[in-house]
Amino acid sequence: MAQKGARPYDRIGEQVFAKVDKINAELFTLTYGSIVTQLVKDYEDLGEVNTQLEKMGYNIGVRLIEEFLARSNVGRCADFTETAEVVAKVGFKMFLGITANVTDWDAEKKEFSLVLDDNPLTEFVELPESYNKLWYANILCGVIRGALEMVQMKVEATYVKCVLHGHDVSEIRVLLKEILTDEIPASMRDE
Amino acid sequence: MGIKVVCASVIGKSNNPLYIRCFDNTEEPLKFHYIVHSALDVVEEKSTAKKGASLDLYLGMLYPTEDYRVYGYTTNSKIKFIIVVQEDGDSHDQAIKNFFRKFHVLYANTVANPFYTPDDLITSRKFNEELEKQVKTV
Repeated sequence: MAQKGARPYDRIGEQVFAKVDKINAELFTLTYGSIVTQLVKDYEDLGEVNTQLEKMGYNIGVRLIEEFLARSNVGRCADFTETAEVVAKVGFKMFLGITANVTDWDAEKKEFSLVLDDNPLTEFVELPESYNKLWYANILCGVIRGALEMVQMKVEATYVKCVLHGHDVSEIRVLLKEILTDEIPASMRDE
Repeated sequence: MGIKVVCASVIGKSNNPLYIRCFDNTEEPLKFHYIVHSALDVVEEKSTAKKGASLDLYLGMLYPTEDYRVYGYTTNSKIKFIIVVQEDGDSHDQAIKNFFRKFHVLYANTVANPFYTPDDLITSRKFNEELEKQVKTV
C-alpha cells in the first residue's frame, strides 16, 4: 500500500544517516549488554528490569527528539500514520542505522506495529533459559514514548515479539493514547 | 579430502574445560576427554619452550595416537582450542588452520554475549549449532 510521501522518508533517512557521526557497533552492543546485565543483577525481578529500561529510554527519548528535529529537518506530520513512517524510516535509521517497517494498523489508525528485522542492540546476545520475561531491547519502547511526548503525542509502546525469544522478527506495538495540547509533560511538572 | 573432526574442545586459563564436544558416536566420549587432557601437557610444553611469546597462535600437531591426531591452538588470553581429528593420508595443515581461525571467531562471538561470563562453561545453543556446521564443512 504505497502512501504518498512514504518513499521520500527512506531517502531522507539515508541522507541524515550519512551525515551523523558513527561509533563502533561492537562497542555499542557491549555497552548496552553490560547495562542490561547490571540491571538484572541489581533488580533481580525481570519485570522491574523491563520497567527500568523503559524509564531510561524515556529519558533518552525526550532529549533525542531535539537532535532529531534539528538534523533531519522533517516538517510537521499531517497525521499519526505519517508520524509512524518518520519514526520507522528516519528516526531508526538515524540513530541505529536500521529501518523498521510499519505494519498492522488498526481500524482507527491509532495503533501500529514497528517491525525490526535486525537490531544492533541484540547482536551476539543469547538469553539464558529463565529470562523469558525480559524484553532485552525495551529501552527502545521508552525512547519512542519520550520522543513522541515532546511532540505532543502521548503513546504507549510495548514489545510483543523479540528475536531473542525465538521469534523471527522483533515487533513493538505503539498505541496513541492522546494528542497533548500545550501541557507540560508529567516528568517536568513534578520537579 | 578425508579429515574428520571427531572432537573439539575449549580449555580455559587454568586448564579447566569450558566446552568438550564429540562428533563421533562410535567412541566413548570419555576416551576423547582423556586424549584432550593429555594434550594439555604438550600445549604447556610448546608454549613455554620458545623464549618469550610464541608468534604463532597455531601450535600444530600435538601428538598422534592410534587412529587420531591432536591439534592445538592457543590465544593470548590463555584460552586453548584442542581438536582431535581422524585423517587418512597427509596432514591438511591449511584446512586445520582455517578451522581454528573460524573456531576462534565463533568463540569471540560467544564471549560477546553479555549473559556469558568468561571462564564459564559454554552452554550457548548458537555456539553448538555453528560448530556443528563448521565441523561438517571442514
